[in-house]
Amino acid sequence: MKKFTIKTIVNNRKYEFSVSQNQTLLHFLREELGLTGTKCGCEIGECGACTVLLNGEAVNSCLVLVPQIDGKEIVTVEGLSINGKLHPLQETFMNHDAVHCGFCTPGMLMSAKALLDKNPKAGEKEIRTAISGNLCRCTGYVQIVEAINDASEK
Amino acid sequence: MKPFEYKAVNSVEEACSVLAEYGSDARILAGGTDLLIEFRKQNVRTPKVVIDISFIKEIHSIESPNGTIIIRPLVTHSEIVNSKVVQQYASLLTSAALVIGSPQIRNRGTVGGNIMNAATCADTVPPLIALGAKVTLESKAGSRQLDLSDLFIKPYQTKAKHEEILTEIHFTKLPPNAKSSFIKLGRRNALAISRLSVAAILTQDKNGKITDARIVPGAALPVWKRVTEAEKILIGEKPSIELFTAAGQKVSEVLISHTGRRWSTEYKEPVIAVLVRRALEQCTLTPNPSPKLGEGSSDLSELGEG
Repeated sequence: MKKFTIKTIVNNRKYEFSVSQNQTLLHFLREELGLTGTKCGCEIGECGACTVLLNGEAVNSCLVLVPQIDGKEIVTVEGLSINGKLHPLQETFMNHDAVHCGFCTPGMLMSAKALLDKNPKAGEKEIRTAISGNLCRCTGYVQIVEAINDASEK
Repeated sequence: MKPFEYKAVNSVEEACSVLAEYGSDARILAGGTDLLIEFRKQNVRTPKVVIDISFIKEIHSIESPNGTIIIRPLVTHSEIVNSKVVQQYASLLTSAALVIGSPQIRNRGTVGGNIMNAATCADTVPPLIALGAKVTLESKAGSRQLDLSDLFIKPYQTKAKHEEILTEIHFTKLPPNAKSSFIKLGRRNALAISRLSVAAILTQDKNGKITDARIVPGAALPVWKRVTEAEKILIGEKPSIELFTAAGQKVSEVLISHTGRRWSTEYKEPVIAVLVRRALEQCTLTPNPSPKLGEGSSDLSELGEG
């Protein structure tokens, strides 16, 4: 299969990769880079478990072909903590018991980060909109909204 | 995903020459929110070549020269939502873009893809047809322009030839005395596919009489069109619940005359009438309500349907 060379920044590190042309960003992150924090759920853009940031915007990595990230910047859940220090959202998710089975958590965190990066004082309505593309079957969302709300006030 | 050849192009000219070379063996990839899902289906023929147009800068902009708005096809639904000029002069399009998919889908999905995929549930199409939008298709042989309402043949099929690419969508700004609305009915608020939708525009003179009306239902007819039979009822009249109810019933009649009676008719017949009435009511509220997420969807509690 034909390979493409792309330049990208993943979690603040510059890379030059040779990628296969019909692989999704999701599988590339998980299988080539070993960044398995990004979860593979529905693969049709409905569950949000694979959410990553592409140039600062939340996207479903299952719906991006890997050559499409050439020249762009990706942040995954592994890129949230810096030098071992957790991101405020990770702290508030723990404090509010917003993690049950944990499968939706990476996607929830990335959707929340996309929101707070743009709107650091987001209210409940904006928070609920921001995570409207992320399914959670455990928590009923209340603790997740509270956790993001808590981080929003910091 | 089955294997295919991937080609990224950097200009419309390059896209046209690759399309001319491969014809029906090629598919155009932009945001990927429809195409990549389609590729994963078992019984779908994967194209030989996928032409990625997402890097073409010249077709990724919103401009507003001389009383018109030009939206280029790579503009995402999020970019439409955030466009001040669209909010001000075509707010029904903002409302429609705001209720598509989820934030993640709106960040990737493009207006060009929404149009060219030609699914009957495409939410940006009814507002654009109500706005009288025209589209430009380009190929190596040159470009041609047609009314958006003339672009569609049937669900998932347009009149665009294999070697043509959509490069522009344009329409006239709504005048200050025109008010517009878009209502979408889905099975839930987020990530819902439209079961039915209505785009409406009403223009009133200074005495409150309706001088122009546009009603375009979505996910209702095999191809989108204005329901002129219902629009006529409104012209020259002053807004009232009775008038809007009559227009709604007319849309319902026209819908059934096109689709015939089938399993979903019992549901759609009263529901489309109510949606049209509500869309028209929203057009007469002053000021026009600013679009908000969730507002485009309707709970239909009075009909006892969810």
